[in-house]
Amino acid sequence: MAVAQRRARSRYRLLLLILTAITLLTLDFRGFGPLEAVQSRVRDALEPVVSAADVVLGPVARVWTVMFTYSDLQDENARLQDELDRLATADIRSAAEQDAFDRLLSATGVAYVSDVPRLAASVLRDSPGNFADDVLSIDVGHRDGVAPGMAVVTSAGFVGRVELVDSTSSTVTTVSDPGLVIGVRLLGTGDVGLGHGLAGDASKFVVDAGLRWPETGDLSELAAVGSGVVTAAGSRYPADIPVGRVLSVEPSEAGLVQLVTVDLNVDVGQLGYVSVLLQQPEDEPPTAPGSPFDPQPFAPEPETLEPEPEISEPGAPPPAAEESR
Amino acid sequence: MTPVRPSAGMPTPLWERAASTQPARTRSAQSYPRLLSNSLGVALTSLRVILVFAVALLAQLTFFTEVRVAGVAPELPALLAILAGLLAGSQNGSVIAFLAGLAWDVYLPTPLGLAALTFAVVAYALGDLTEDLFHDTPARTLSLVFLGTAAMVSAYALLGTVIGQSGLLTDRLLSIVLVASLFNTVLAWPAAAAMRWALGISRDDAADSGAAFGGFWRRRTRAK
Repeated sequence: MAVAQRRARSRYRLLLLILTAITLLTLDFRGFGPLEAVQSRVRDALEPVVSAADVVLGPVARVWTVMFTYSDLQDENARLQDELDRLATADIRSAAEQDAFDRLLSATGVAYVSDVPRLAASVLRDSPGNFADDVLSIDVGHRDGVAPGMAVVTSAGFVGRVELVDSTSSTVTTVSDPGLVIGVRLLGTGDVGLGHGLAGDASKFVVDAGLRWPETGDLSELAAVGSGVVTAAGSRYPADIPVGRVLSVEPSEAGLVQLVTVDLNVDVGQLGYVSVLLQQPEDEPPTAPGSPFDPQPFAPEPETLEPEPEISEPGAPPPAAEESR
Repeated sequence: MTPVRPSAGMPTPLWERAASTQPARTRSAQSYPRLLSNSLGVALTSLRVILVFAVALLAQLTFFTEVRVAGVAPELPALLAILAGLLAGSQNGSVIAFLAGLAWDVYLPTPLGLAALTFAVVAYALGDLTEDLFHDTPARTLSLVFLGTAAMVSAYALLGTVIGQSGLLTDRLLSIVLVASLFNTVLAWPAAAAMRWALGISRDDAADSGAAFGGFWRRRTRAK
């Protein structure tokens, strides 16, 4: 009898726990403010303790890392040295191109990402769990002016998006997260599309929306392998932040859309310091012309339509003169 | 309220021992010092459980972000939740596991409540499964830790995917489940000792029941 009562009571308690968990899940999904605030307060309160533990345990943990990755580090060092030598020769050409680009920007008045104020931050720790590979913590928070949605970059390019902001720390979702959709522009063709990280491979990014496969079958219209990919103007993030280089271009299963695989510039697993671009993010989700997120696929906005220039024949009066009549 | 009577094979946690020392009809007539003593016992047990879990959480957040095998870290919060189910039984163990999962959820990018739900259900199942066992062995406890971790990690990934979280059901899931379960099995010994201390289960109590290395401790003591 007592055993049956005990079992009934523990089942009742389990039911209550399940209902509580479902309630919390629902509230979290709906973005219930107080719940997020409580989580943020808990993290803020524990942050000094976690940081202190990191100071104590960090060196021990790093010994483990060095022990098992020493040969990898040597290989990487050699590879980086090669790359540095190659870049030294390309530096002069790059300087000339940069100079021309700067002059173009100043002439057109277009804001470039270098004009956005930056806030340097160090990476506190990588993802805590086994599933959150695409998350990292940085040591700046809303006290420093950081807000959710801001872009995080390094000199190599786009790192990710500020997701959660606590008082003195923030959580960043990295560009390798399959759930983080970014509007990008292919420098080779100027086409704009939407892309996201590739599940299971933190070094790849795939653009799978917004880029139509050429109807004519002319492959020269595709972006060249090795050409650059940057954030697009009109996306949630400042334009022209380098994302990576095109690795391959292939048609989708239906053959209508391009699937562009991009080799990410930033190695999100090896970050020490990053910069947060202190520009208030756009609220609107990124939309690419013709993308599934575009409210009017493949139809330009009426106000953006420009009249086609008329080709005037020699001797004919200019169009302005006709309008004035 | 009927006094809680622990099942035959389960060591009695401190709070249940304190509560069950008085028959029901005299409970209301308990003297103030005894009530205070019982409350203090519960408070001390809670504080010790919180302390053990805080240490595990700190280790998970700092040490085990670097120390990984094949890119996989142990799941210390899950380990403590499993041990709570095994040592404290399904009723109290599921509550401890739920709270452990909730604290872990604060640091995970998945929605709040996902780990808590998974931990509570698996800890309840393990506690219920082992409550009537008279002679547990270390090998059985280790097997249960291995299976419990595998169940928790798999359930977390599956449930997370069902509610729309991306990046959980990947090709890596099998290796994560295997390595994390093995890691937890290796760490089960010190973790079980810590949880026994936190729950106020003496070595003798554990030895009588044989739960979670109790039998092993008893044999070692006799050999000495």
